[in-house]
Amino acid sequence: MLKYVGKRLLMMIPVLLGVTFIIFSMLYITPGDPARLVLGDSASPEAVEQYREEQGLNDPFLVQYGRYMKNLILHGDLGTSYSTKKPVIDLIKDCFPATVKLAFCSMLFALVLGIPIGIISAIKQYSIFDMCSMAFALLGISMPVFWLGLLLTLLFSVKLGWLPSSGFNTPLHLILPAVSLGAQSVAVITRMTRSSMLEVINMDYIKTARAKGLHEKTVIIRHALGNALIPIITSAGLQFGTLLGGAVLTESIFSIPGIGRLMVDSIKMRDFPTVQGGVLIIALAFSIVNLLVDLLYAFVDPRIKAQYK
Amino acid sequence: MSRKGLMRFLIAAAVSATALFGSMSVSAAETTQDTLTVAMGSDATSIDPVAVCNVYSSNIMAQIYDTLIDVAEDGTVTPRLAESYEVSDDGLTYTFKIRQGVKFHNGDELKASDVAYSLKRAQASAAVAHIFGDIDPDSFEVPDDYTVSFKLQQQNTGFIAGLANTGASIVPEAVVEAEGDNFGSNPIGTGPFKFVSWTKNDTIELERNDDYFGEEPALSKITFRIITEATNRAIELESGGVDMAFDISTNDISRVEDNSNLQLIRKVDNQTTFLAFNCEKEPWNNPDVRQAISYALDTTAICNAVWRGVGAPAAGPIAPNVKYHDNDLTPHEYNVEKAKELLAAAGVQEGQKLVISTNERQERIDMATIIQSQLKEVGIDVEIEVLEWGALLDKADRREQDAIMVGWTCQTADPDMAVYAVFHTQSNGQVGNNYANFSSEKVDELLEKGRSMPDSDDREAVYKELQEEIVAEAPWVFLNNGEVVVGAKANMKGFEPTAFGYHPLYNIYFE
Repeated sequence: MLKYVGKRLLMMIPVLLGVTFIIFSMLYITPGDPARLVLGDSASPEAVEQYREEQGLNDPFLVQYGRYMKNLILHGDLGTSYSTKKPVIDLIKDCFPATVKLAFCSMLFALVLGIPIGIISAIKQYSIFDMCSMAFALLGISMPVFWLGLLLTLLFSVKLGWLPSSGFNTPLHLILPAVSLGAQSVAVITRMTRSSMLEVINMDYIKTARAKGLHEKTVIIRHALGNALIPIITSAGLQFGTLLGGAVLTESIFSIPGIGRLMVDSIKMRDFPTVQGGVLIIALAFSIVNLLVDLLYAFVDPRIKAQYK
Repeated sequence: MSRKGLMRFLIAAAVSATALFGSMSVSAAETTQDTLTVAMGSDATSIDPVAVCNVYSSNIMAQIYDTLIDVAEDGTVTPRLAESYEVSDDGLTYTFKIRQGVKFHNGDELKASDVAYSLKRAQASAAVAHIFGDIDPDSFEVPDDYTVSFKLQQQNTGFIAGLANTGASIVPEAVVEAEGDNFGSNPIGTGPFKFVSWTKNDTIELERNDDYFGEEPALSKITFRIITEATNRAIELESGGVDMAFDISTNDISRVEDNSNLQLIRKVDNQTTFLAFNCEKEPWNNPDVRQAISYALDTTAICNAVWRGVGAPAAGPIAPNVKYHDNDLTPHEYNVEKAKELLAAAGVQEGQKLVISTNERQERIDMATIIQSQLKEVGIDVEIEVLEWGALLDKADRREQDAIMVGWTCQTADPDMAVYAVFHTQSNGQVGNNYANFSSEKVDELLEKGRSMPDSDDREAVYKELQEEIVAEAPWVFLNNGEVVVGAKANMKGFEPTAFGYHPLYNIYFE
């Protein structure tokens, strides 16, 4: 098992190297001059040219890329932000925790609501509960997050005054953003749980378990859900990994200082080091989440564990 | 769940809910409020005065630092860190007497050497060189601890107004040298408020400087909260989450106005939004064709439709609150027949294509859409190209545009800043702010003359002539002047917005 984990960690390295190359290339060919954007539109042409020289922006692509990779690999240095002059790693350290908190709470909301509803829908297929929950799922997937966010804010903050509308200091602040962002995930997980459960419920071994006289709860939770979990974990894992990339719209509406906003602001400013560093960290986080999901499979299903060598 | 279990659950839920909501209620303040929470649309980039030039950063700088002088809109100079100043007869040498006993937030005394250091930094900085670039960096003299003098490389009457800009804030030399780039995140100034903390994209906290040399602020604390969505800023203001919100959007203005607990504070600012033709490209290189477009556009109707009463239709290149703005200029006459005549005389064919490039700001796209339909009536076929800001600047730098919709702000209280960089031939032909690629000997002459003359009726006459000449040449279609729209609690007093986009908050108090 440890060997498997080790192999997976090593495999991450070429993936991350590929990510740095792709992002660097994309930033290089994107129109827009970082010097002009960082210095502001009042800056003189001489000042812009001087800045470009100082930052090495006039060097050829491979020279710039080589310089970046040298700093990264030899010194673990993600560079300094063009606009704020702060080390990129500090900027990311400041905002990534907020995104992790938001992603975690959204997933929790999605799982706590989605899995039970999915299970009940599967057990009571074609019942009124099933119809309603599928309709809600469709609504959840279709509703744009910014629209839902503003609607919830108007209701719970303005009309009722129960919850704060922006900021990120207290647990109460997490509720509206988590619900807005989690709505789509709830829908996906509900549907995934339902379809996965339906596949499993009609299996012969479930009939056998019932025939053996086991309590229905045990049949559903231990035997059916246990076998239905794999696709649900896959889906949840992908969702969580995506959320870690920063939910820009949610962060903007609720003024959450997360990595999504940092990325968008940095791209607008052509703050290459911050974009590069941010994408690298997000790619790393996504890879780790994937690894953890694969390890979770092994925990849930011994047949899979046996395959991990 | 059994019925008993359900009842227990419901009671427990009700009790917890009551406790939760009960603890959220805020007890009424019995003393006058002495803290201010302000909602701002974007985070500051740096609090180092010379590192950046944007209003969000300047909003913080304006509370933490002092400048040598303050300059009113009509050009009146009030001493601040400087007790007095002199300008030599040739207009090149400036000598300042510095106030004694002023302390930085770390307790060090302000000396003339700090002033020299700060201004030298401003001259060398890429971000603010457009305001301070005329300073001769080798000319600084500090004969004693409270006197500093320096020379300009060329005469510039507008220079003194620039010294009131946050770029000329006075910083402690020793601290800046020690901190380097870090100074922008941990600033020290002499101002009425001290920096406490900065959580990126979230909050910036300041506290009162009890040793301030000037009038002690009534507020003990200012907190800036970064709330990017305009609607959310208005919501936070309504719900009491903030005491003041900058940049209230047009959609929210009536909500704030109709709320008796809130007030709306407005002032036309120094920003001009315009459509700049590429004056080097046919047929836009013909002033008659450009005039024809101006006649074909009803800019008043466009502004009313898009801005709904915020700001005002622009009549010329100098905004209304800037010194020497020509009050006789009115928004361009709307005359479709005249437009058609001029176009026909210039040989412009029916179906002439015009690509208007703009960035993603919704108001600009909306204005371009109305322009498109109005120009159709005179046979001009407009295509609207929406580009991201960096890409738009790139296109303008490569001089590929037909016409570009942008804005320009006069950042000091002097008209030179409104016109020189955007119309002088010097800025043409390279990466810069002459978005219209415009060049005119007469305009150049007037710009240079206006810059070097001392304030007087003659100078005013030069700027009047300049504005008339630019309107006649029509390199721009003048669209609108912006407006500062700030919402605040009704009992907040002492706030005077400036036309620059950043505002002093230290005179604010609550009744």
